[in-house]
This record gives sequence, C-alpha cells and structure tokens, in this order.
Amino acid sequence: MDIFTGLINGFSIALTGTNILFCFLGALIGTAIGVLPGLGPAATIALLLPMTYVIGSPVTAIIMMAGIYYGAMYGGSTTSILLNLPGEAASVVTCIDGYQMAKKGRAGAALGIAAIGSFIAGTVAVLGLTFFAPPLAEFALDFGPPEYFALTTLGLLLAVTLSGGSITKGLIILFVGLLLAMVGLDPISGKIRFTFGSIVLQGGFDFVTLAMGVFGLGEILYNLESTLKTEIVTTKLGKVFPTLKDWADSKWAIFRGSVIGFFVGIIPGGGAVISSLASYAIEKKYSKHPEEFGQGAIQGVAGPESANNAASSSSFIPLLTLGIPGNAAIAMIFAALMIQGITPGPFLVAEHPDVFWGVIASMYIGNAMLLVLNLPMVGIWVQMLRVPYGILAPIIVLFTTVGVYSVQNQVFDIYSMLFFAALGYGMRKLNFDPAPLPLAFVLGPMVERSLRQSLLISGGDLTIFVSRPISGTLVAIFVLLVVGQTAFYIKRKTGGKKTPAT
Amino acid sequence: MKKYERITAIITSLGGVWIMYYAWRTLKLGSIHVPDAGLLPFLCGVGLAVLGIAWILILQWTKEAENEGPAEQRLWHRPVLSLLLMVLYGWAMESVGYITSTFIFVIAWQKVIEHEKWLKTMIIALLGTFAMYALFVYLLKVPIPPEFFAG
Repeated sequence: MDIFTGLINGFSIALTGTNILFCFLGALIGTAIGVLPGLGPAATIALLLPMTYVIGSPVTAIIMMAGIYYGAMYGGSTTSILLNLPGEAASVVTCIDGYQMAKKGRAGAALGIAAIGSFIAGTVAVLGLTFFAPPLAEFALDFGPPEYFALTTLGLLLAVTLSGGSITKGLIILFVGLLLAMVGLDPISGKIRFTFGSIVLQGGFDFVTLAMGVFGLGEILYNLESTLKTEIVTTKLGKVFPTLKDWADSKWAIFRGSVIGFFVGIIPGGGAVISSLASYAIEKKYSKHPEEFGQGAIQGVAGPESANNAASSSSFIPLLTLGIPGNAAIAMIFAALMIQGITPGPFLVAEHPDVFWGVIASMYIGNAMLLVLNLPMVGIWVQMLRVPYGILAPIIVLFTTVGVYSVQNQVFDIYSMLFFAALGYGMRKLNFDPAPLPLAFVLGPMVERSLRQSLLISGGDLTIFVSRPISGTLVAIFVLLVVGQTAFYIKRKTGGKKTPAT
Repeated sequence: MKKYERITAIITSLGGVWIMYYAWRTLKLGSIHVPDAGLLPFLCGVGLAVLGIAWILILQWTKEAENEGPAEQRLWHRPVLSLLLMVLYGWAMESVGYITSTFIFVIAWQKVIEHEKWLKTMIIALLGTFAMYALFVYLLKVPIPPEFFAG
C-alpha cells in the first residue's frame, strides 16, 4: 500500500461517526487538561487508560489518546498567557512573552497566534509523519535482537540525558523501572522473580496501575501539599485573530518552530518541552530585536507554541515505526495499543494499516478541530479555571480507583496503584523526574529479550552488538553520548563553575 | 533536603546490593552463552549500587542551595492523610460495596483534607457518588464491587 492509498484509507476510517466523536472528545479533554494546571497529558492519558478496555476498537481508542496529547499542547498556552501559569510543562516558556502581551492588552493576539501556530505546526508535523514513518518502518524490518537492544538502550539513555534533570537520578529511576518490569514470570526460563510468594504478582505489575499511580495520583498528592487557589482572570482578551503585522512578525517563527519541533520530537526523550525551549532560544538569538524578548514579543509565543505541537505529533514516529515510546505520554499510548492486543513497531503498517493510517488521518482532523475549539471558545476554557482543586482532586481519585479496579476486577490493583502513587509522590519530593519510569517499564521486556536472544545467537560473543552496521552505529552513538556527558561534567567541575544539584 | 537525599541514596545502594545477591543466589546468572533469569536484574542491581554511591559522593561535593527568599508553604500532612484515606477506601470498597464506600470517602475527604462545611460536603458527596455511579455503571458498563447492604 503506497502512502496516498494508505492516507485515503486512513481518512475513510477517521471520518466515521464514532471516530470523529472520539477524536473530538480527545481534543476536548486534551484542551481542558492543558488549561488546568497540575495535571499533564501523561497523567490524563494514564487516568483514561482503563477506558480503552471499554472502547473496544483499537483505532478509536488511540485516536482519542492522541487527541488528548496534542490537544493538551494547544490548551497549555491559555493559562500561560492569561495567568502566567503554565497549564503543562511544554508551555512554561510561553509565559515569558505571552503574559507580557496580555498585560499590554494583547492577550487575544497571543492566544490567536498560539492557536494558529499550533495548527500550522501540527499539520506540518503530521505531513512529515505521513511521509517519514512508512519508509522508516520498512527500514526497521531488518532489525534483529542486537539492533533492538542497541536502540532501546540508546532510547532510554537519551530519555534520561535529555530530560533536563539530574542524570544520576534519571538513571536510578531507569533501573527501578526495568526492575519493576521484571516482577513475575520470566518469559524465557519460566522462573518467578521478585514476587515474594504473592500469587497475584506472578503476572507482574499492570502498566495501568503504575501509570495511574505514579502520574495520576502521584501528581495529585504532590499538588495537595500546596493549596492551589482558583485564579480569577481579569485580563481583557481583545481580538483573538492576529493582525497582518502580527502574522508578518511571526510567520518565520512558526516555520522554524515547526521544523525544530518535528526533529526534536522524533528523538527519544526530546518531546514538547525541549522543543519549545530550543525554539525560544533560537528565536531570541536570531531576532533583529532580541531586547523585545521578555517584553511581549509575539515571536516568543509563536515559535515555542508551534514547536511543542510539532513535537507532540512527530513523537508518534518512533512509536509507530520502531515500537519505541520517546516520552511518558507516548509510553501511555504504547500501553493503550498493547491493551488492544497491538504491538507497535515496524510490522504495524503491514499488520494493522487501519490503526496506522487511521490515527495519522485523525491528526489532520483533530488539528482542525482544535483550532475551532481554541480560538472562538477561549473564554469558556478560562472559566474552567474556576473549578476548585478541592473538588477536582477527589473526583480524580474516584475516577482512578474505579478505573484501575475495572481492569481485572481485583482490589489488589487499587493497592498496587496506591503503592505507585506513594512512589510517585516520593519521587517528586526528592526532585526525581518520573518520566523515565514508564519508558523503562514498557521497554524493559524488550531490552531483556533482545539482550538474551543476542547472546544466544552469538554464542556469548559480545561483538555482535558492534559488528553489525545498524547496531554498531547505535552503540557508537551510545558511547559518544556517555563520553560526551562525562567530559562535559568533568569540564564543569574543573572549570570551577557551579554544578547543578546532583 | 540533603539529609533525605542522603538517606535515599544509601537505601538505593543497599537495595542494589540486595538485588545483586538475590539475582545471583536465587535467580541464577547463567553463562554468557546461555544467560539466565538473573542476568539483567543483577546488572540493574550493580547499576543501582554504583549510582547510589555516586549520588552520595555528589551530595558531598555540592553545596546546599542558598536560601532564595521565603519558600512556598508545603503541607505534607495533606498527601499523607489522603493516601491513608485512599487505602481505607480500597478496603471499604471490597467490604461494604462501591456506593456506600464512595459516599463515605468523599465526606471524609471534604472534612479531613479540605475542611469544608457540612452542607457543601454532603452536596459534593451525593453528587459525586451519583455521577461516578452513572458514569461507570450505566454509561461505561464497568463492573463495580457489589453493595453489602443490598444483600
């Protein structure tokens, strides 16, 4: 099936009544959680994972999950601009100039350019996904166990190094995630590992309980420490459609943001946060008036908002083609696919073209829906900020508890979710970034299987990882990354500069 | 903060050593030709032990961050209490059923965590329980623990 035939088929699937409805639902929920501070897209997708059992159709479930992810990127800009409060992490940088614009009475223009930029970038990234993903999937068909071992370990290392936090802590979380994935029966030898005599643990931990605990409830518990108050928006929105001058000032920022976001999104660990930061830095550096940045420069909103949307769409490329989730939210979508009995990877295009092309086509539709949802309805989203956290938090708790119970109808899952919630809370308290945990958990079985299979194939010869061209290249990148990071750390230490805490 | 980090680093290191021992003695490492179930857990254990020590060393080298103005007030008892409530809720759900346990849980949450007035608490508890029941049972057809009082 060529790309155009695939895309036409995809649209015929995405345009059915049910799929349009769930695409809209995803975009709507995504925008809502993007607006609400304190709950990110990964947490929301985690909270909704049990719903995928009820939905039944894999393509419909993934269309909704994807909608939540890129919808959150749209919604995140609203609170950043109006309240100087990022709705989710990727919109932090939007606060800088977006809020300054709002203070000058140009909130509408900032919201407008953020929505239009997001739409253009999202569409550009989906176009890239359409044409880039199928050849990459075909290339990945040649991958054997050594290539998968090299790719997954490199992906995990990139996720840790690019997360921006402490590398030591990131690696600890990575190993914890791998170990949690090993609980239960060893698929190769049949030995029971880390169950301590528990029969229910023989099947291992369920990803839903881990994700809902660490991301959903863990975040709620951490937010409960501070009394989040309802913010009252007093800013006048003004016109939400940018003027011709606004458009002229931001068109190149949108273009650059789209390109940066697209490529950063493909890299495991890259994602929306880094792309928006990179875009802001580039816009400021190459601007003719860098002094305007921080004072309400429209490029400071257009670039990062375009970049985070492009990245959220392009991060589907490694998932759909290689079966490698690049960030926490995509790891949730990986889990949703697995729940539906679909293994993401190079065979997805051939074995489940309806899912592959249906989801891609739905992104075009979803982006258009989001433009409509965000531009004229921005006032309604702002009103949502009036819902007190004291009501929102117990509702989320009720939702997660029944959600996690419904997966296997056992109360044990509620307790294991609470264990993970405590773990997630502790991680946040000690400044650990929880993002590598779900990645290591979902990739853990693949890492172990590919390592043991490689050693069995080669008869214990470790050069199998470097003697094959693809795995050799990946191992070389891995080594370069480790050497580079170590050299950078030593240089900073010996240079007498301040080091980041751990 | 550094004190808690140091304790966690020591636990990480000791945990790593225990995992190495467990993987070596119970799971078995196998050989490089035919690796057994303990190989990757052993390597993870080594990783945790080493990283724990590295973390302790880094904590020794780095200075405590200087106080940058008044810190936001953090209420640690609220998450601890809510976690306790959730554990009780899980237990109650199995013992007395979904509706009763949910109703009591929301009341407990509003009174203990949010210190709300009785009228508001009762309205939220009634509406919350009804909405969740309608959503999960009627709309999503999710099986919930049976009601104890329904016989």
